[in-house]
Amino acid sequence: MAKSMESWAEELPAEYRHRTLAEILRKEAAWILGLTAVAVFILVRWGAQFDYWQYVVLASWYVGLLLAGVAWRPLQWATVASVLPALGAVWLYAHGQTAENNFLLHYVLQGVAAAMWMSVLLLLATGAYLLHFFSGREAVGRWATRLTWGGVIFGFIGLGVRWRETYLGHPSWGHIPVSNLWEVFVLFCATTPLFYLYYEKKAQNRSLGAFIMPLVAAAVGFLLWLTLAQHMDRVEPLIPALQSFWMKLHVPMMFVGYANFTIASLIGAAYLLREGSVRRRGILAARLPDADLMDEVMYRAIALGFLFFTVATILGAVWAARAWGGFWSWDPKETWALIVWLNYAGLLHARVVKGWRGRSMAWWSFLSLWVVSFCFLGVNMFLSGLHSYGKL
Amino acid sequence: MQTVSRVHSAQSSRLRLLLQFLGSMRLAVSLLVLLAIASIIGTILSQQQPYDNYQLQFGSFWFQVYRELGLYNVYRTLWYTGIVAFLVLSTATCVTRNGPRMLRDMRALPIRQRRAAIRAQEYFFSTDAELSAEGMANRLAALLRQAGFRPRLEREGSEFYVAARKGRFHRLGYFLTHLAIILICAAALYNADIPVKWAEWTGALQPAKNFDLPLSEIPRSAWMPLHNPAYRGIITLPEGQTADAVFELAGAGYLVQPLPFRIHLRSFHVSYYSTGMPRDFVSDVVLYSPSGKVLKSGIIRVNHPMSYDGVEIYQSSFSDGGSLLHLQSYVLGMPALQPGQLTGRVGQTLQAGGSGYSVQLKNFSLYNVMPRTAVGDKPDPKNPMVNLGPSYTYVVHDPQGGAAEFKTYFSPISRNGQGYFVQGYRQALGDPYHYVYLPIGPNGGISLFLNYLAALQVAARGGAQASPAVFQQIFAMLAARVAPNMSTAEQDRFVQASLNALAQMRDYPAPFILHLQSFDHRWAAGLQVTKWPGTVPIYWGCVALVLGIFILFYLPQRRIWARVVEDREGGSHLELGASADRNKREFAREFAAWERALRTPPGTEDTTLNC
Ligand code: HEM
Repeated sequence: MAKSMESWAEELPAEYRHRTLAEILRKEAAWILGLTAVAVFILVRWGAQFDYWQYVVLASWYVGLLLAGVAWRPLQWATVASVLPALGAVWLYAHGQTAENNFLLHYVLQGVAAAMWMSVLLLLATGAYLLHFFSGREAVGRWATRLTWGGVIFGFIGLGVRWRETYLGHPSWGHIPVSNLWEVFVLFCATTPLFYLYYEKKAQNRSLGAFIMPLVAAAVGFLLWLTLAQHMDRVEPLIPALQSFWMKLHVPMMFVGYANFTIASLIGAAYLLREGSVRRRGILAARLPDADLMDEVMYRAIALGFLFFTVATILGAVWAARAWGGFWSWDPKETWALIVWLNYAGLLHARVVKGWRGRSMAWWSFLSLWVVSFCFLGVNMFLSGLHSYGKL
Repeated sequence: MQTVSRVHSAQSSRLRLLLQFLGSMRLAVSLLVLLAIASIIGTILSQQQPYDNYQLQFGSFWFQVYRELGLYNVYRTLWYTGIVAFLVLSTATCVTRNGPRMLRDMRALPIRQRRAAIRAQEYFFSTDAELSAEGMANRLAALLRQAGFRPRLEREGSEFYVAARKGRFHRLGYFLTHLAIILICAAALYNADIPVKWAEWTGALQPAKNFDLPLSEIPRSAWMPLHNPAYRGIITLPEGQTADAVFELAGAGYLVQPLPFRIHLRSFHVSYYSTGMPRDFVSDVVLYSPSGKVLKSGIIRVNHPMSYDGVEIYQSSFSDGGSLLHLQSYVLGMPALQPGQLTGRVGQTLQAGGSGYSVQLKNFSLYNVMPRTAVGDKPDPKNPMVNLGPSYTYVVHDPQGGAAEFKTYFSPISRNGQGYFVQGYRQALGDPYHYVYLPIGPNGGISLFLNYLAALQVAARGGAQASPAVFQQIFAMLAARVAPNMSTAEQDRFVQASLNALAQMRDYPAPFILHLQSFDHRWAAGLQVTKWPGTVPIYWGCVALVLGIFILFYLPQRRIWARVVEDREGGSHLELGASADRNKREFAREFAAWERALRTPPGTEDTTLNC
């Protein structure tokens, strides 16, 4: 009658069961082995030219991707789906093909072309999320998610191929493509939806897309303007201060921060609108996840953003110490990064220690969007300083 | 006796109140936000400009007010530093106040917990089961093991206690972050060289105000000690020269920091991309000991400083190091027979003949590849950039005290087959340049143009009418004399170009034109020299900060206590309490899943769980 102890082993549903390391290794073997093989290949192929710091970069990417892929499986195939086409383009370039004589490069894979595909897909995705929100049709929602994935993947293909293209202009030009406003906007447009997709999965609810994707669409609009009117999509060489290994870590990490902060503040906006709607029994109250869940996702996003933003700011300071001879020069960009950081430190303390929840947090998080955008864009547009890479 | 102790306790309660205030969360949040807001000021007002600029910008009244507030160097004012110090103090108080409690938290978990304490946990449920108490305790332990805990059991008579936790060292995250903040600020303070700041404040050190003094004449009161623990200074070093001191800006003046070695700049080099953008700045330097021994030699590039004995040397800027310029001066309106010769180094001021005019050679720059539009040329989409070669700028002071600035490019520019020298002039600093395109004659140089100019003036004085035919005719006469080989088309082009140049020169602010004949270039490198002993602690502080934040966010502490008692029918009664300090929602769902599992009598499969 009484169960033996072993038979209790299955008592918890799988999602609450702890995965042992051996289980994880077995389940994720393909991912882990594949990633390890790539890392080893890179080491064997280029290791001879590596200096100390390049090992650090490789290790960071390896560990980061490994853990992120294990924590969120869709990232695994998304990585493959962006890396393979990018490698294909590199292969084509290596075999004398160019955007002029190769159809595939010209219309699809070339950095700028892929960024345009990203733009189109993200705009469509935004439309689909809005349609899904107002019509409530699940099928549309699924398409919205797929289109977003497509946009994200094209964004990363574009960045990957462009990295190669910076070397094609002249070998001495080569750099990771995060050095001007156009390039960082592609990065922003690809990173923000990627993290959104993660939270969408966590929250099991697509309605937040109708709040977050319109901002991404606005960023896409700005990117298109930069491309079509300002011609900022041209590859340019780097000024001496930017020729640093640190850029490879500093800038991408900064954008993990920006993406998560942006998502958190738009969830804050959704939270506030939902509150108003609950009283009127409006559509927002019906569609959006419950208040507690939004509060939790908002906190998660801010926490992840804060962690990366902290690391990125520290790396920026270390870089500044190498390039300008001082950790901190109170340059406007640096100072605004500090302002953003202090702002979120304040928010986290209010939440964790004072137990602020809900409305006040949502307001704080929403208003922080202005602080973050000023740090990201306003500084480049309105203030002058040492961070002149993003000038319009 | 009584009064004494009352005074004593009043004092200690005041102290306690102060500590409570300093360690309060309200203060911490306020200080964080206040600091953020205060930091905005320095990004709106550009910092550490020469005081003259501010005076111009704000007028003398607001200039004074802002200066009193320290807004020109906000981040080094007493009040700003004060906020930071307050934050550090508050953090320190917070750590000392919370510390003992948190350390206690990290100790081994007591397995047995009072009933009331279990019931008081954030998450709690109790259930009765047919299972024996021991069976139930084992069942719970098995379940917790599945959830990744390592439960511990203890039996007391017929009662069983189970306890488990994850994230035992969560509190370590708190210590790491907050101690790191203190460490980083303290090290930064050390780097900021407090003793010198103090000496400056008390007046023992007085910044020198005159920027034109040679090193030997700078008053000793502006010299910092040789063994200053921390400093950050700059030096502009012309090629071939040596320095053993650097300068640190202080308010409207500067201080001198002697170095433990001498820096000799062997050469400086700039390389360019094909677009004309600078690619690299390289200084080739040698460090000598005071006695002349070579200590180290090598190159310094942007992002690649040189370090010697705790002192770092950075490539921070470059400028002209006093290039030698040979100039020809043509007086406007006089035939260009024998141009005057002027020779001088950048930085010098020359007298132009006996005219009362002086020429101050301001700067020389070796390469000028720039967009055509930047020098007033028409845009050319196919060929947007133009190489104008070296350029030099000079200021001409007239005898009446007026001044104008000129910028002359060495290499000619070509437009529709006619060559030009480009020269810019402006009446006031900050104005855009007006550009003059001086046409080049068939034998090079601008003498044909100047002769033509002189001939036109003579004709005008003689009463000639200004008409195209007259202009043409005067040029034909001149050309017959000095440039007989010009074709008619060339002549027409030249006349048109000259007339355009004349129109561009309507406001030309000097009675002569200077033409660069040759130059002997010399660079100067701007080097920054720092000594920052606090660097290594800062790095460790950063590591601790990041690690601490990671622990706080992602390794939350979860604690579980349970008590199982036997009831009269041989069944058992379970009371399970738990707490989580982050991600509560997630934990609440997990806890609910445990509850569902434990409430289900063993043996009955709960289909809802296995879907
Ligand atoms: C620049 C200064 C500070 C920074 C960067 C900082 C950073 C942090 C961070 C990132 C957290 C984690 C928040 C979370 O888990 O969501 C935290 C928690 C906390 N902070 Fe601070 N903090 C600072 C100053 C202070 C001060 C002045 C106090 C004291 C009044 C304080 C008290 C606390 C407490 C009590 C916690 C909660 C720890 C826990 O429950 O585990 N902090 N801090």
